[in-house]
Amino acid sequence: MSPGKKALIDAAVDEVATVLLGKESQLRLAICCLLASGHLLIEDLPGMGKTTLSHALAQVLGLSYKRVQFTSDLLPADILGLSIYHRNDHSFHFHPGPIFTQVLLADEINRSTPRTQSALLEAMAEGQVTLEGETRALPTPFFVIATQNPLEQSGTYPLPESQLDRFLMRIELGYPDAGAERAMLRGSGEGTQKRTLKRCIDEAALAAIRAAVDEVHVSDSLLDYIQRIAARSRQGGEFAVGLSPRGVLALLRSAKTWALMDDRDHALPDDVQAVLPAVTAHRLQPGGGFSGDGLALVALLRRDVDVV
Amino acid sequence: MKQAQQLPRPALLWIIVAQALLLLPHLPRLPLWVAGVYLLAFAWRVQAFRGRMELPGRWLKVVLALAAIAGIVLSFGSLFGVEPMVAFLLTAFALKLTEMRSRKDAYVVIFLGYFVCLTEFLFSQDLLIVVYSLLLVWVLTTALVAVHRPAGRLRDLRPLRKAGVMLLQAVPLMLVLFFLFPRIGPLWSVPIKSHTAQTGMSDRLRPGDVSRLSQSTEVAFRAQFDGEIPAVSQLYWRGMVLSSLEDSTWRSLRYFEIPAQERRAPRLDTEGDPLRYSIIMAPTQQNWLFALRYAQTARPGVMELNDYRLYSPAIIENEYRYEVQSWPDTPIEKELSPWRRGVETSLPAVDNPRTRALAGRLYETTDTPREFVAAVLDYFSNESFFYTLQPPLLGDTDMMDQFVFDSRRGFCEHYAYAFAVMMRSAGIPARIVGGYLGGEINPVNRTVIVHQFDAHAWNEVWLEGEGWVRVDPTAAVSPDRILYGLERAVAAEGSFLSDSPLSPLRYRGIGWINSMRLRYDALTYRWQSWVTGFDGQAQFDLLRGVLGEISVSRSLGLLLGAGVLTMGIVSLFLFRGARARRRPVFEEELLRFQRALWRRGLAPIAGETPGQLTERAVLRWPQQAETLRALYRALERSVYAPLPTSQDGNRLRRELRKRIRGIQFSL
Repeated sequence: MSPGKKALIDAAVDEVATVLLGKESQLRLAICCLLASGHLLIEDLPGMGKTTLSHALAQVLGLSYKRVQFTSDLLPADILGLSIYHRNDHSFHFHPGPIFTQVLLADEINRSTPRTQSALLEAMAEGQVTLEGETRALPTPFFVIATQNPLEQSGTYPLPESQLDRFLMRIELGYPDAGAERAMLRGSGEGTQKRTLKRCIDEAALAAIRAAVDEVHVSDSLLDYIQRIAARSRQGGEFAVGLSPRGVLALLRSAKTWALMDDRDHALPDDVQAVLPAVTAHRLQPGGGFSGDGLALVALLRRDVDVV
Repeated sequence: MKQAQQLPRPALLWIIVAQALLLLPHLPRLPLWVAGVYLLAFAWRVQAFRGRMELPGRWLKVVLALAAIAGIVLSFGSLFGVEPMVAFLLTAFALKLTEMRSRKDAYVVIFLGYFVCLTEFLFSQDLLIVVYSLLLVWVLTTALVAVHRPAGRLRDLRPLRKAGVMLLQAVPLMLVLFFLFPRIGPLWSVPIKSHTAQTGMSDRLRPGDVSRLSQSTEVAFRAQFDGEIPAVSQLYWRGMVLSSLEDSTWRSLRYFEIPAQERRAPRLDTEGDPLRYSIIMAPTQQNWLFALRYAQTARPGVMELNDYRLYSPAIIENEYRYEVQSWPDTPIEKELSPWRRGVETSLPAVDNPRTRALAGRLYETTDTPREFVAAVLDYFSNESFFYTLQPPLLGDTDMMDQFVFDSRRGFCEHYAYAFAVMMRSAGIPARIVGGYLGGEINPVNRTVIVHQFDAHAWNEVWLEGEGWVRVDPTAAVSPDRILYGLERAVAAEGSFLSDSPLSPLRYRGIGWINSMRLRYDALTYRWQSWVTGFDGQAQFDLLRGVLGEISVSRSLGLLLGAGVLTMGIVSLFLFRGARARRRPVFEEELLRFQRALWRRGLAPIAGETPGQLTERAVLRWPQQAETLRALYRALERSVYAPLPTSQDGNRLRRELRKRIRGIQFSL
């Protein structure tokens, strides 16, 4: 493994950090998610920088970027595209929708109907769309960054658990701390939104990083730890639903990516713990008597499972 | 109510199940309304859990408690005595459910449940009850486990499994306590059998007593012989000797009625090998023990009375086991003292004139007492006497006249009574012996089971040169009774066990029922001789065998030592079991490193990774930062990174251990 990869990734993080101040840990998680070839769900209130983050990520990776604002009358065709009859040559021509891009920002995904959501989610899972009997591959890499507003639940269609499971990670941005906010306020005159970011990782480097993730060594000890976590989430009344096998795989892949970002050729329990909240919180459901939310459940997993 | 305090739903269910099961064996002894209180309490608590009802307030609880006390007093007539006390405890136990709000209250209910479970043993120590109580302990422990689990599905059986495993782990300690814990007598006196009368034969005999006893299917005792079992018709189990006749009632001589010099029986010379057997007797609340004649026992505290029977100065309140040796052919009391002769020939002044006249007539036709005995027996067998379980009631005066001349239908006690009167009126010493005749031989374990319906009364006549000779006038009337037992003797009448339609003894004809019954009886015998028979005496013998000399410190040391040892073995086993999980290479060393840091004063934090722990250690011992980090790095690589194939694992392990020890010293 070449140390150059860590430098590339750090540079990308630093670059994004110039537009989204004081959120380095979330930035790292978001980049980790994309490097692990996963889709990202950002859940937060409006105005916290969700769009800024996703746009910046696309820019530093040098990827094409499109944004769809989800509304309740959005139809699958509005995302996937449709065939239109051309009078000139008396034939149908396919007009690709916004999904034919490398980074798609699905803003406020829970505002659209389940029908539209599932059209998107199928594309996320398969990396391709099927329209009028014809399968069209999506460009690679293909990332979906979806945002969701946890408040204002009236007139929304929250994603069901089965679809939440398809997002590798869910992160929350939260309010900036005072220092970051001050810096943001000072810099606001310069129009940070408009600034184009430098491309830090080109496509070849991205492919190399993704290949390197597969090479990260995972020892039996670590697999034991991950399995203990999974087992704990499947027993005890606090959990209505435990971690699915897909969830466990996501945890492993994220941990490996995190290890790579830390310039290591082997993954550690520390890596697992670092990605644990983002990877598992949205997959866990509290059971009958448990009063906390997904993050409280993650805390339980972290506390109850012996590392060694 | 706080979330953490709310009882989980499965726990409530387990507690209710446990309460219902605890109540069940007590039901036959309880007034029906107690069961009603349970149903009410269950319904109330469940409705309260569902939020449909409020639990009772303070005043309502006071009213309920007072009503329960009043109900007990009304039903039993008093609050004192074991049965009303247990009924009161059970009622309070049910009402406790309605004030069970938090986890703390659940503890009270469950621990009370363990106590209630014990109360069943005040009434019975039957094997089935013991098995049932073990089940109860299991269910109660399950409830205890469920209280500590977060709410889950109702049909979650994991608490049951966990409780079962915990109880199994407790078994070694249970055995240690069973064998070694001192059998302490009751610290306070409990009037245990306040409502149950004395059972079995009594020391007073009126016609009708034995036949009433013959309706009972209870087991009086079980006997196990060392060698061959003698013929059933020879098993005359002597219990009491009735020498005094007053107001148509025969009774034993009182201790103070016997002259001081005759109170103890001289040991008789015996010849030949005795019959050796051991007897386990059901509690009778009386003093006498049953044995074949001439019996000696080595059991301490058992007396031999002057009429050659065994007697326990303490009332038999529990199952009682004793070993006996009998020499059936040994003559008893060849020489009769004048006092004894006077007692054994005395009759009320004017009584049964017709019977006495008959005896006189018969006596004149014979030359020797022996011939006279035969003549009387012939009279019974030749005249139309009947052996019956349902003899007609006799008036209070001149009872034997009515029997011998008018009704002529009687049970063994009638014949024994008439025979004794006729002998005594001719001046021949005679008395009635009460006890049991025969028994049922259990082919499973070769024990003789003697039931209450085997109760029998016969006579002993003193003959010159022979001493006391057994004579059974019933044999003259109904030879079947002696040879085949009561059932056959009264078969025509159909009166055998007519009061116990459900007793398995009635279905002896059905092969598999009988075989089950006998097998269970054999199991009971084994249970009695090994478990409930392991009393203070048996324990004393065992301890003496182990310790040689018994002292408080030695016994205590043995008890504690054995307890620690067994629990130690169990925990070692559990510990090994937990550790036996295959540890990937070098994880052991990483654990040692962690433990070393913990021992040096860094409190463990749940879920902390070794890396985080190392960083904490670096903060605590900054001067060791380099060493700590380097060692951690090495350990981390050995556990989580691929091991170069060239590296020697064992050498690396030794080196790591050395470094861990080193750092332990330097911190």
